[in-house]
Amino acid sequence: MNAPGFLSTRPVFVVGIGLHRYQRRSDETYVSLGLTAVREALVDAGVDWTDIDAAYTGTALLGMGASRIMLSRLGATGIPMTQVENASASGSSSVAQACLEVASGRSDVVVALGVDKPRGGLGAAPGEAGIANLEAGSIVPFTHFALLASEYMHLHAVTDEQVAKVAVKNHRNGSQNPFAQRQKIRTLDEVLAEPISGSLTRLQCCPVGEGAAAVIIASEDGINRLGVDRSRAMQVVASATKTEGLYAEGVGIDAALTAETGAAAFHEAGLGPSDLDVLEVHDAFAIEELLYAEALGLCKPGEAASRIESGDFDIGGSCAFSPSGGLLAMGHPIGPTGVGQVVEVVRQLRNEAGSRQQPNARVGMAHMVGIGAVCVVHILRKP
Amino acid sequence: MTTEARHPHLLKPTNPPIIVGHRCISCEQIAFPPDPYGCEKCGSPASNFESWDLEARGSVRAVAMVYRHHRPTPPTPFTVAVIDLVGGPVVKAIVEGDDAAVGSSVEGFLVPEDQDDVGNVIVDLRFRVIQ
Ligand SMILES: [Zn+2]
Repeated sequence: MNAPGFLSTRPVFVVGIGLHRYQRRSDETYVSLGLTAVREALVDAGVDWTDIDAAYTGTALLGMGASRIMLSRLGATGIPMTQVENASASGSSSVAQACLEVASGRSDVVVALGVDKPRGGLGAAPGEAGIANLEAGSIVPFTHFALLASEYMHLHAVTDEQVAKVAVKNHRNGSQNPFAQRQKIRTLDEVLAEPISGSLTRLQCCPVGEGAAAVIIASEDGINRLGVDRSRAMQVVASATKTEGLYAEGVGIDAALTAETGAAAFHEAGLGPSDLDVLEVHDAFAIEELLYAEALGLCKPGEAASRIESGDFDIGGSCAFSPSGGLLAMGHPIGPTGVGQVVEVVRQLRNEAGSRQQPNARVGMAHMVGIGAVCVVHILRKP
Repeated sequence: MTTEARHPHLLKPTNPPIIVGHRCISCEQIAFPPDPYGCEKCGSPASNFESWDLEARGSVRAVAMVYRHHRPTPPTPFTVAVIDLVGGPVVKAIVEGDDAAVGSSVEGFLVPEDQDDVGNVIVDLRFRVIQ
């Protein structure tokens, strides 16, 4: 179980952030992608690679042994390196492991990165579990979420246009993010074109490309020893991971799991949904932002669509949802995604997000779900 | 020549067809699909399960028409639904026709999908709206 307060016993901070732009699959190697993000994070933190005590690499698609051949090109220092796989939450879990390692006192400065390149398929293990189902092969992830959209829209009398407005907002945010895979402003008509499944259209489904993201996690001892700029160090006040429990028949597992994991994170941080200024959620499909806004308690059941329409979840609203563009526009290269969310939250809390800055951002959350199902939530706060 | 279900442990090709789940003898949990490993509710091994017949009848909880698919079958567009079976469990399945809506009553029926080497007809389950 999550030991309450393990992050307050020995506080941990994100002191450096770096990204390689998310993009369509290219000839660039994962080594090059990953090194770009880590080098940028080291420069951002003002620390040297030789200051790093350990590394966690979140990746779901690269295969075994990805870390050393990449990171040793910064200097073969012999530090412990571990790959972390947790489906779409792989990067989030690499951040969680880095936080745990620093909070435990074993290390003072740890890098968590995510890197991936798309392959033919996801190669997900549940398909190999030997548990056949009636719909085998006909229901892929976008249809899973199209079905959740159908149920939600019927229950709350929400229209296709209202759900599509999530994507309009996130594409607009992504247009301001130089690291986003999709950087175009899209009209409601453009978002509603090109149906994929149910009410979901192409622009309401995230692109799965390649990229990398890195964060450097440090203790106060590490910050003091290395002379890191304290004003740019953002504290991680909650790190919660849960897997799907046994819910009542028909209950949407993604939202139920998000509600539980979010509640655990809020409890650990001593904060509540009204404290959030920025929120990066797993908006792989537009409907998810509505489901998770409600599951995380930012609004009442059925209210999320009207809150989107009122601009309340825009940059400048009460809580900026997916200011990076989210998975819908920034992209979902799998391993990097959860780390990239933390990068965006840190940038926002530092007041360094430029044209997509949420004013006076002091508390932010990063939320991922993944096949399994797993959910990982981090809350960060400006000290 | 006989009629065989594509997934014989999930489906009995009777008229009307029967969906096969499991019931845990220890905790009485009824689940679909039948699991070869153990009980998610109480942790009993699958040796503690009995086979449990479920009527292929229920109501539509959610429905989506699929326009893009990564395989040639089923041909697009096709409709899938989340169905609350009258016997408890929830299944996802293909619904024939374009009249399914949330709340529709549906029933299962068999469609021939294939033929094996010796001429046996392989059938699979579809649902349709009942008025
Ligand atoms: Zn049981």
